[in-house]
Amino acid sequence: MGKINRRVMMVGGTITPPGIPMDWTWRQMAAEVFWKALKDVNIPIKNVDLVACNYNDRAIADSSPGPQIADALGILPKPVVPIANACAGNGIASYVAWNAIASGRCDVVVSMGFARSDNYDAMEAMNTQGNYVDFDYMMGMTHINYGSMRDAYYRRKYDVPIAAAGQWAYQCNWYARRNPLAANYNKPMPVLDELCADTPEADRDRQATNRGGVASAMIFVGEELAKHYTDKPVLFDVAYAFRPPYIGNFFNYPVDSMKDYDLAELPGLMEAAREAYGIAGIQKEDVDLVQVHDLTGYEGMMAIEAIGVCGLGQGKDYVLSGGMSLESHCPINTYGGGPAFGHGSAGSDFQAGVLENFWQITGQAGERQVKNARVGVNTSYGTHHSLDVVGVVQKGW
Amino acid sequence: MSNEFPEQFVRWDTFSSALWYRTRAARYRLEGTRCGHCGEKFFPPRTGLICPVCHERCMEPYSCAQQGEIVIAALDDVGFPAVGYGDAMPRVQAIVRLDDGIHVMVDILQVADPTEVQPGRRVSMILRKHKREDTGAWVYGFGFVLNR
Repeated sequence: MGKINRRVMMVGGTITPPGIPMDWTWRQMAAEVFWKALKDVNIPIKNVDLVACNYNDRAIADSSPGPQIADALGILPKPVVPIANACAGNGIASYVAWNAIASGRCDVVVSMGFARSDNYDAMEAMNTQGNYVDFDYMMGMTHINYGSMRDAYYRRKYDVPIAAAGQWAYQCNWYARRNPLAANYNKPMPVLDELCADTPEADRDRQATNRGGVASAMIFVGEELAKHYTDKPVLFDVAYAFRPPYIGNFFNYPVDSMKDYDLAELPGLMEAAREAYGIAGIQKEDVDLVQVHDLTGYEGMMAIEAIGVCGLGQGKDYVLSGGMSLESHCPINTYGGGPAFGHGSAGSDFQAGVLENFWQITGQAGERQVKNARVGVNTSYGTHHSLDVVGVVQKGW
Repeated sequence: MSNEFPEQFVRWDTFSSALWYRTRAARYRLEGTRCGHCGEKFFPPRTGLICPVCHERCMEPYSCAQQGEIVIAALDDVGFPAVGYGDAMPRVQAIVRLDDGIHVMVDILQVADPTEVQPGRRVSMILRKHKREDTGAWVYGFGFVLNR
């Protein structure tokens, strides 16, 4: 680890609401959030030194997206770092932003991302591709099959009841009714008993809701500049780690940090959390609330275990004892999670957690506000946890 | 589209024959690699790649065990199969631990009753016809069947 010259602060950010207009291009989506995020905190576009932007390479066909994004945002000739690394790729974009500021090279950086997957006629096929395509998708195994296998294995290894996943989805939906940005905000509240049923229909209801087209942006600045833009800045830190992309190699991979784990644990997320907590100067006991990127409740439980909210295999106990709720010492998924805020891929899967923690810590979360929240952690992943990201936001001053 | 070629032919996310050609040894014979320095075995093969254990670069072909046991199984019935596999739903899929410790995710074939496919069941590799690619060529590769 090299020298960190200054802390990084987050001063604002935004995300598109559900149901953006069908005729918006990906360029318009990117411009929308970039414009709004900067206007909200009165930062002139000319002050932006760098943009780091995640996109889903299954969602746009334009080659060399860097200059195209810079052109759409009106910041030419300033640089854009384009990143295509699946759903959690904005974690990497934010890592780029963080480094640019911490090093002192840049003062104001926008980290953003967008998803416009319906650009593809073949979306249904493309969205189910696997991790190591040569030996999974091309042999009939999809992204969705990976998830089913992981959930089945986790349930078997740690004896996790369906009721825990049902409770997870229920609590996510409860928060979503208190978050106007959530995909399920205006929908009828599901019935807990129905969510806990052992049927294919209930299984689908427990899984993530598709958010469709979505974009988001977050603004990071050097710590000495934050006071110029807001009286409620938060400290921001981020770290990420990789794991082998082929699902067979999730079992005891012969690298020190992974050889003791298999498909039921997330060692990449553990590694990312260790680094993020270290840079942020926090312990797991300091965390007041957590947002995880979860396509199923089982996956969500694996994530809270990996970042230290509870021990390995104890996620079910945490959830069934009310650990996700506002009354808990560490509420989970106050933004609504995958089941109810919605899965937004490159457009929001990392950013939604950071933004929720930012709004919570600055007291802007309304009915879902966590009292006295000072430290928020969020997780996100790409390609079934071959990429895992952890973000930490803390009260600034 | 004729009866002889009922699968979808034209799509722009297509994979080329060249891509299939490069992976033939692993698909036909479950050929992985072994590090010539530390002996660690890998599948998918890491031909020409760097060993993550000893960081040397001397991978050599390795024939993976062709028998093993089921670690976990799941039914693929959610309606989003990989392109070319939609006519065989639902499918039974599993992670298999081969007898040399390597894990692979595979279709379990020739299953009359999906409840037969349980962790611990012994399985054997077979070479199977997978699907027809848009070049018109049939794609072959490994699959597994339950030992009887």
